[in-house]
Amino acid sequence: MKIAVCLNHVPDTASKISVGQDNQSIDTSGVTFVVNPYDEFAVEEALKTKEKVGGDTVVISLGNDNNKESIKKALAMGVDNAVLLKTNEIYDSLSVAKILANEIKTQNAEIVFFGKQSVDYDNGAVGQMCAELLGYNSVSVVVGLEINGNKVRAEREIEGGREIVETELPVVITTQKGLNEPRYASLKGIMAAKKKIIDEKIPENCSNYTETISMKKPPAKQPGRIIGTDATAVPELIRLLKEEVKVI
Amino acid sequence: MIIKSNPDEIQNYLTDASNYSGKCEAVYIPESEQEIVEIVSRCNADKTKITVAGNGTGLTGGRVPEGGIVLSTEKLNKILEINSNDKYAVVQPSVLLNEFQEEVESRNLFYPPDPTERNCYIGGTVATNASGARTFKYGPTRSYVLGLKIVLPDGRKLRIERGQFIADGSHAIIPTEDGSIISFELPNYEMPATKNAAGYYCKEKMDMIDLFIGSEGTLGIITEIKLKLIDLPKNILSCIIFFNSQEDALDFVEEAVRLSRYTDDSIISARGLELFDKFTLKFLRSDYSNIPENAEAAVWFEQEIDGNEDELISEWMELISKHNGMEEDSWIANDRKEMDKFKDFRHAIALKVNDYMSQRGLKKVGTDVAVPFESFKGFYFDTIKLVCEAGLNYVVYGHAGDSHIHLNMLPDNAEQYNKAIETYRQICSNAVKLKGTVSAEHGIGKLKREYFKLMYNDDVIKKMALIKLAFDTNRILNIGNIFDEKYLT
Repeated sequence: MKIAVCLNHVPDTASKISVGQDNQSIDTSGVTFVVNPYDEFAVEEALKTKEKVGGDTVVISLGNDNNKESIKKALAMGVDNAVLLKTNEIYDSLSVAKILANEIKTQNAEIVFFGKQSVDYDNGAVGQMCAELLGYNSVSVVVGLEINGNKVRAEREIEGGREIVETELPVVITTQKGLNEPRYASLKGIMAAKKKIIDEKIPENCSNYTETISMKKPPAKQPGRIIGTDATAVPELIRLLKEEVKVI
Repeated sequence: MIIKSNPDEIQNYLTDASNYSGKCEAVYIPESEQEIVEIVSRCNADKTKITVAGNGTGLTGGRVPEGGIVLSTEKLNKILEINSNDKYAVVQPSVLLNEFQEEVESRNLFYPPDPTERNCYIGGTVATNASGARTFKYGPTRSYVLGLKIVLPDGRKLRIERGQFIADGSHAIIPTEDGSIISFELPNYEMPATKNAAGYYCKEKMDMIDLFIGSEGTLGIITEIKLKLIDLPKNILSCIIFFNSQEDALDFVEEAVRLSRYTDDSIISARGLELFDKFTLKFLRSDYSNIPENAEAAVWFEQEIDGNEDELISEWMELISKHNGMEEDSWIANDRKEMDKFKDFRHAIALKVNDYMSQRGLKKVGTDVAVPFESFKGFYFDTIKLVCEAGLNYVVYGHAGDSHIHLNMLPDNAEQYNKAIETYRQICSNAVKLKGTVSAEHGIGKLKREYFKLMYNDDVIKKMALIKLAFDTNRILNIGNIFDEKYLT
């Protein structure tokens, strides 16, 4: 059984993001990149699945050499193999899905884990697109998972509740917070990861289906105003809320 | 300047993180050094007591007023300069430590002092000579203070740079900005050779700036601080190792300290070594379900990596395995985010214990004792034995690398509380007998004065009080901190 986990290398949400000079991408200088937080649940679930049903795990990531940092983290956590689909291009969701689906097919993986979304563009689309392209079953936003033989029973978050879905392998699962608690790497894991080889491949050329026209930051928050520090300020506060902010 | 006297508005200034509370007539919030001078001069003239308030994160009631007025420095909150070439910064006292550290780190510089509570004001950390996990390698706040601007209790101003005024033997002379001189004799007493935040720093031929650092606001009001910065270390090895037995964890710490501090040819050189006992882990398990079930203790350590990472990891692995650490279940931070999570792990326990106790309407009784390295292990187990014999629940965590632990007794009722207080006194007394301190980092404030007396006799405390009187003849500033008012007669 081959278990694949797709991993994205994204700006840390704590980083200050600014738009690049081309107005079409972010300025990455000074930005810390990390494993996409939802992908950490995917890695953990892949490892737990391997521990339960056996098989081999492979991490697949699309991007440049910087992605190796995140790949190494997955390897240190215990993933067996790694593939970097090396490119400097920025692809949209469908292109990413096509490239990843090709590799998943090559790997012959029957269980594929994705984070439910990447926190860079937040489209939340790649996992499901991949499933469609591969003809696999797909359950998204999963918070509970059992795999027995060919049977898959997944619990997913829905508006105001939870839904239980039963399906069969091959399957794409997109993971949500709550599914598990990702393990930390051990010192042994770190040392072992250093010996593992990242298989670098050049992905097939793919053209985007969407075009980014421009990016801009939301308007800056206006500074607060202190109207007064005691009860005498209340009438003025009410006037401003009524006339200026128009909320009452 | 803002002046508050409405009871609802001043409520927050009457307490600190220890929950000790007091009273005051009004809270003055000056916006400049000049306004501080005005308030102080007026109070000095009519002998009104002033208690200086930082951000209220202290644990010993230092900022809690017992009458008079509160002077809050909260509006003096600007970073005035960060000099990347000469590696120093100038700040006003109420800059938040965590904001300052983020700011300097964004410039690839580093300010090492790291008390667990990083929402404190830098002024507060200087007043208490605060320390933290990284003190193991980098020393306490004292090591990073290059200069201070101070308003004295009579309104005179003082500017002091490190290296500028050195005591002539035990004779101290400090000129103020108006040309007048403050002179006094430095008492001769032995300070513990451990981390210490109990009483004035005094010794022959000392740099007089050190007297103000850790003086808990009793000598003057800090209005500006010049701090030393160093280069930001880039690569850090940060780990949490679990152990099946406390003895193993303590032995591991002991050897790691020996290798880090006393062995020249070892590449092991931790910058922090912290211990968590089994009860601490039990508290944390609800938030960190990955803590191994059979763990009886854990040790967190960090080391900066300057050379061969593989060799360094191998050395640590060898040490872990020698002391039966649970290697497979150890945690290593892969990135900055995980390092921060490990920091949260340390911070979470203090909050969880406080929540647990306040939900039950109870008060914890927590130690801040440190002893010399060679006595630490014996002291640790004797202390636990004492607490167990008293029939008290407890958690132990803290800066084991610095032989400094926070043992928190968790009494269930008033009777147990009294027992905990009695045990606390015994623990402090035992630490002093071993040439340790009753307060390694929290300070004495108003809550630990009784225990301070275990370290020094009345004669020595009176001599310390004479230093205060040299600066504060009218006895108005932060009265009650470090020593009882009776020593100021």
